[in-house]
Amino acid sequence: MKILRVNMSDETPSAKFEELGEYEGFGGRALTSAIISKEVDPLCHPLSADNKFVIAGGLLSGTAAAMSGRISVGCKSPLTGGIKEANAGGQAAQVMGKLGIAAIVLEGKPKTDDTYKIFINKEGVKIEKDNSLKMLSNYDLVQKMRSQYGDKIACISIGPAGDMKMSAASVAITDMEGRPTRHCGRGGVGAVLASKGVKVIVLDDTGTLPRQPKDPEAFKDANKRFVAGLQKHPVTGQGLPAYGTNVLTNIINEVGAYPTYNFKDGKFAGARKISGEVQAELEKQRGGNPTHGCHRGCVIRCSGIYHDKDGNYLTKQPEYETVWAFGGNCGIDDIDKIAMMDFLCDNYGLDTIEIGAAIGVAMEAGLIKWGDADGVINLIHEIGKGTYLGRIIGNGAAFTAKAFGVERVPVVKGQAIPAYDPRAVQGIGVTYATSPMGADHTAGYSIALNVLKTGGFVDPLKPEGQVELSRNLQIATAFIDSTGMCLFIAFALLDQPETNQALIDMINAFYGWNMKDSDVMEYGKKVLKFERDFNARAGFTKQHDRLPRFFYKEPISPHNVVFMVKDEELDQLFNW
Amino acid sequence: MRVIIKLFGGLKSKRAFPQNEEGDLILEFTEPIAVGEIIETLDLNKKPFIVILNGVNLVDFSIKVKEGDEISLFPPIAGGQC
Repeated sequence: MKILRVNMSDETPSAKFEELGEYEGFGGRALTSAIISKEVDPLCHPLSADNKFVIAGGLLSGTAAAMSGRISVGCKSPLTGGIKEANAGGQAAQVMGKLGIAAIVLEGKPKTDDTYKIFINKEGVKIEKDNSLKMLSNYDLVQKMRSQYGDKIACISIGPAGDMKMSAASVAITDMEGRPTRHCGRGGVGAVLASKGVKVIVLDDTGTLPRQPKDPEAFKDANKRFVAGLQKHPVTGQGLPAYGTNVLTNIINEVGAYPTYNFKDGKFAGARKISGEVQAELEKQRGGNPTHGCHRGCVIRCSGIYHDKDGNYLTKQPEYETVWAFGGNCGIDDIDKIAMMDFLCDNYGLDTIEIGAAIGVAMEAGLIKWGDADGVINLIHEIGKGTYLGRIIGNGAAFTAKAFGVERVPVVKGQAIPAYDPRAVQGIGVTYATSPMGADHTAGYSIALNVLKTGGFVDPLKPEGQVELSRNLQIATAFIDSTGMCLFIAFALLDQPETNQALIDMINAFYGWNMKDSDVMEYGKKVLKFERDFNARAGFTKQHDRLPRFFYKEPISPHNVVFMVKDEELDQLFNW
Repeated sequence: MRVIIKLFGGLKSKRAFPQNEEGDLILEFTEPIAVGEIIETLDLNKKPFIVILNGVNLVDFSIKVKEGDEISLFPPIAGGQC
């Protein structure tokens, strides 16, 4: 496996392959965070030539391992000003792995305003100027690439939001059907890719084979045990395949942790109408598909395909956080309108969480009324067109709050808080406050234990035990994010020690390592240390590891609670 | 004593009970009764894994209900976008 470095500062951008060297043994998030931490000036402007944009598959991407299709992108974030790793499913990680590429590192910046596409296959790398791609939406762009390079390609791309370097711009990854539906959503990563002058990276693995393990028999056996474990567990084997991630709407609402009307309430009256149960039923009725993998080798299959009322493809199955961001957060209970918002965000290349939160803030300012679905759709079009109003909202919740003078700003380190209220689920509040990524539910998904009773139960309404819970989850997640595995395997890993062991056995068999459970935790700590170290050098202090003050002062209904974990306890999170 | 039962994630009762406008089951009891006993009474198609009483995730199912209580029942479920 090699690192592909592309220098975009050269008059004719150049590419060179190099050995992993000091990055040997790193994959996914570990690799992106290590490169950013070691090679990027933490004080640089995120859109400057000094920032780097790193794309990395995981340790097992491109192998026959099930669930190993996550791809990580990393950079200094224009949204948070800190280190960023955002990951997604889709096909690109597997294709990169099969091409023998551990990471693509985009460096420098073109001196002109030209737009480039990068094509990579087993023959090599071609970097071409193509200004006709400027401001193309993701769906049109991918269609154009497929017409030029064939249907077998995988694309990594930005939409117009990226072109305009908005802080909520995502990086799209094509799925099994070649649609740009899986997004490295958070932190404005699309703006950084755009700053390198790159619109799309096209990957073609024709004529390549899966990466081969050091011990094929042991690898095959471990993979078999791993898959059996995922299929046996009720969450990964039944719940997620049947309803997708939006199965969470009802339960998060029932426990009073569903942020409603920009975090004013904990329950939304219209939740059932936009729930995963309703969504899955509509998908079945209209010829869509509620049980579908986002990449080859996925056995959980929690993604899906959403059709409109006429039975035509509209978008992929909207995820829980997307449905929340435009649903309860904006007071909207129309699932078809929310699905349209999901499509528009994918097409323009936007983080649905950040945009839903920004529009919630704009609603609080009175820009449009709560529940005005058509108004929201219009605002997303404003972003895509790049009007002045669109540029405000497209730069996220904090920027929008400043523009409109709103006090209730649900962000940490500048990044919008997702779909779980930290007052009703105190553990996730600890993760939001302390994650080096800014408010990020996936960084330490305490919901698993605070609500879903996977791997145990920690009372979500009390502050006790939440720091330890979040710490352990953040460490374990940093490791899983480095393997290329989908984070949802964690549900089975938490409950079934034999499935956890199967994953470790699979990695050991592939690399010839002798990793133990304790090594897994050390690996995760190393990743977090890279990230914390970068942030410290970028100027972050413990005061940045806090929630907005309104969470400490305004009780949330129906439990009438505030966030109660003390600052001194938060400061102990990384004190392992 | 009237108790509202909300069933989610494919849970269904094999028995017929009166329902409110939302489709939730309405159960009437004359004596104090524990949450666990109510679940038995429902005769569900699948065993519920998460039991929520008035918004609180229950660990102890022996707790007795009172007039107007709401019980939400879920099979094992999870998720969330990465």
